[in-house]
Amino acid sequence: MATYISKRLLAVIPIVLFAIFLMFLLIRLSPVDPAEAYLSAAHIHPTDEILAEKRHEFGLDQPLWMQYVQTVKGIVLLDFGNSFVTNTPVWQEIAARMPATIQLALSSILLAIAISIPLGFLSAVYKNGAIDHFSRLLSFLGASIPQFWLGYLLIFLFSVKLDLFPVEGKGTWQHFVLPSLTLSLALVAVYTRLLRASVLEELEQQYVLYARTRGIKEKAIMGKHVLKIAIAPMMTGLGMNLGKLLTGTIIIEQVFSWPGFGRYFVEAIFNRDIPVIQCYVMLAVCLFVICNLIVDIVQMYMDPRISLKGRAQF
Amino acid sequence: MNKHRKFLAVAISLAIAIILGGCSDDKAESASGASADNAITISWPRDIGPMNPHVYNPSQLLAQSMIYEPLVSYKEGGEIQPHLAESWTVSEDGLEYIFKIRENVKFTDGSALTAAVVKKNFDAVMKNSSSHSWLGVINVLEKTEAVDDQTFKMVLKEPYYPALQDLAVVRPVRFLGEAGFPEDGDTSKGITEPVGTGPWMLKDYKKDEYAVFTRNPEYWGESPELEEVKIKIIPDAETRVLAFEKGDLDLIYGEGVISMDSFNQLKESGEYQTALSKPVGTRSLLLNTTNEKLADLRVRKALQHGFNKQAMVEGVTLGLEEKADNILSTNFPYTDIEVEPFDYDVEKAAEYLEEAGWKLPAGKAVREKDGQPLELELIYDKTDPIQKAMAETLQAEWSALGIKLNISGLELTTQIERRKAGDFDVDFWYNYGAPYDPHSFINVVAEKGWGVAEAHSNLPMKSDLDQQIKETLGSTDEAKRQQLYGSILGTLQEQSVFVPISYIKKSVIYQNGVEEFIFPANRDEHPFNEMKISK
Repeated sequence: MATYISKRLLAVIPIVLFAIFLMFLLIRLSPVDPAEAYLSAAHIHPTDEILAEKRHEFGLDQPLWMQYVQTVKGIVLLDFGNSFVTNTPVWQEIAARMPATIQLALSSILLAIAISIPLGFLSAVYKNGAIDHFSRLLSFLGASIPQFWLGYLLIFLFSVKLDLFPVEGKGTWQHFVLPSLTLSLALVAVYTRLLRASVLEELEQQYVLYARTRGIKEKAIMGKHVLKIAIAPMMTGLGMNLGKLLTGTIIIEQVFSWPGFGRYFVEAIFNRDIPVIQCYVMLAVCLFVICNLIVDIVQMYMDPRISLKGRAQF
Repeated sequence: MNKHRKFLAVAISLAIAIILGGCSDDKAESASGASADNAITISWPRDIGPMNPHVYNPSQLLAQSMIYEPLVSYKEGGEIQPHLAESWTVSEDGLEYIFKIRENVKFTDGSALTAAVVKKNFDAVMKNSSSHSWLGVINVLEKTEAVDDQTFKMVLKEPYYPALQDLAVVRPVRFLGEAGFPEDGDTSKGITEPVGTGPWMLKDYKKDEYAVFTRNPEYWGESPELEEVKIKIIPDAETRVLAFEKGDLDLIYGEGVISMDSFNQLKESGEYQTALSKPVGTRSLLLNTTNEKLADLRVRKALQHGFNKQAMVEGVTLGLEEKADNILSTNFPYTDIEVEPFDYDVEKAAEYLEEAGWKLPAGKAVREKDGQPLELELIYDKTDPIQKAMAETLQAEWSALGIKLNISGLELTTQIERRKAGDFDVDFWYNYGAPYDPHSFINVVAEKGWGVAEAHSNLPMKSDLDQQIKETLGSTDEAKRQQLYGSILGTLQEQSVFVPISYIKKSVIYQNGVEEFIFPANRDEHPFNEMKISK
């Protein structure tokens, strides 16, 4: 177990290095000059003199290989430099905005769990009943409606028309409802069907039949045995989706004016604020890698039948 | 199994605790409207920034103009009026400006505005002068001096008449109180607090969420009618509209803050008030005379006559912009000249092309001359729906004349780079608006490096034009200046290097209780001083 984990941890290093290389390349491939972007956002007519000064300030006048070395060095030392726009350390900018994003992500996960467990379980138990049809429709919608559009729809209905929740912003619990709902619907779509499938599979098992013949109450069979086992794949899916969830907040924060890191990232892209973009991408890479690792380890722990040898080492 | 349950319980409680941490803000603060009755709430796409008067991004012009004030202000029609300076004199040679600083002006921390503070601000700006080289007055400023407590002197290297207009801009020449300066006096790295003399002061602020401004009780001038202005930060245009429809916002104001479709939809609902400003700038095409096809005046005239401007402007901008015949609209100083509009006249356009030797070979759709097809490229900003729609319209209209127009949508910065390098045939161009025009406009016609002078470089009278422009910017005689402007603008109109399309206007949409909304004469200023609200 320990060797497996340490091997996997070592494998993270080349992945992160490759990600840095790819990111550096993609950012530099963009035809947009950050110095120009900065000045146009500031409503300044960019004279060559101002441009040269900005490029120098941003370190963009150095040869490309040198910029690359600086980038790698900075990231390895966890120093992402200062934002081009605000001139404050990127870490500081992120630390100020991360809590809001984490809160939104967590509330969406909790909401998704709270909706999908009963819904998925009941759709399996009452297969082809009304609840099953409803959950099928919900999954279909959740998987197909673009999130930003769903956000606008919810605002229009629950906020403008019914006046139940605020349109945007953050502060009270009411502010959490619409953005979390928007973000969680896509997750609900997946988890509900996942749970339904695994519950149905579990119900076919011998031990359920055996338990029934022993006269154990249906409720106990379902709750104590079936659900407990069937929930495992859903939890795996949840872990795999953490990274996705964080990137999903980008659009939602923009729509709901949520003062988090996702919205900041959108602004950074428009401003070509390279240090911020780099930091966000690195965080996302690490989150994906770590989530995958944790999910694998938890799965092994929960189901020893998964052999270590059979697993791909990335 | 018990262990599992405990772990799960702890994990869920922790998650809930973290989320609740996000709800523990003061309820009153998160109320959607402003707290006072006599207050308005507006939205802005970006956080107001650190409110440093001497720098640009990420500080927002709107908020900077609420807190900081200029020596002189720009009023309707380009009139320069006293502001923090109650009067001024300019020497005969146009090199020395002596300002009498208004007495009894206090910063929000109670300190007095003196010539010494004015100088300190100028010093801070000049320390970082290369960042401000886009502004003419900075480039010609030789030295400044606090003559006595209330007298401030500015000496220029060469005469430059728009110095006063340049002092009216929102940044970087506005005044921070002593208390706001860092120890070394270098504000380019940051300020300690936003201490200004303006009618508004920052009362409450939450980064990325909102900023609340309240009336400055010590204001030297006429106090605003409103007690409070709350600016909510809403980056998304559609969300802004929804918040307005719900009544969370009293007005939506700013350039390009909502789509033309949304504006018209709200307007047509009949539930709100809307208004359009006078022209703040002209949307034009820039034809590059370094391309030999476009070096021929007849071809440029053919292009002007060859499209239905009125129909295009109405169709694309839904009536939010107005067809333009003048390169600069007449609400700027020195721009009121007689112009001969180029009517939509396809026959005339075809005549000009024939005359210039561009014939349509039998069976072909594109005109040719010496075996060369009449083919041009128009570059536009691909993220700008108006430019895109206009580019497509022009492509269709001109093809009927036998001109092949290729349209290329580019990233904005690529478009600017290509323009500056003179690497284009046809491009969209906008003038700078108040208080920057007309002097900034004629400046780029003469000065290389912006693409505009380059585009004009093949005009036969280019060196005369440049000479006239130089003379105008250094002129000290009003009548002479008026005459020079008339001549320069007249030549530019005739030469058709600029093809004016439409006048861009600011739009505002507000709830019924809002009164006395007046568009500021200066494009970058805030509009809150005269506004009232009855709820």
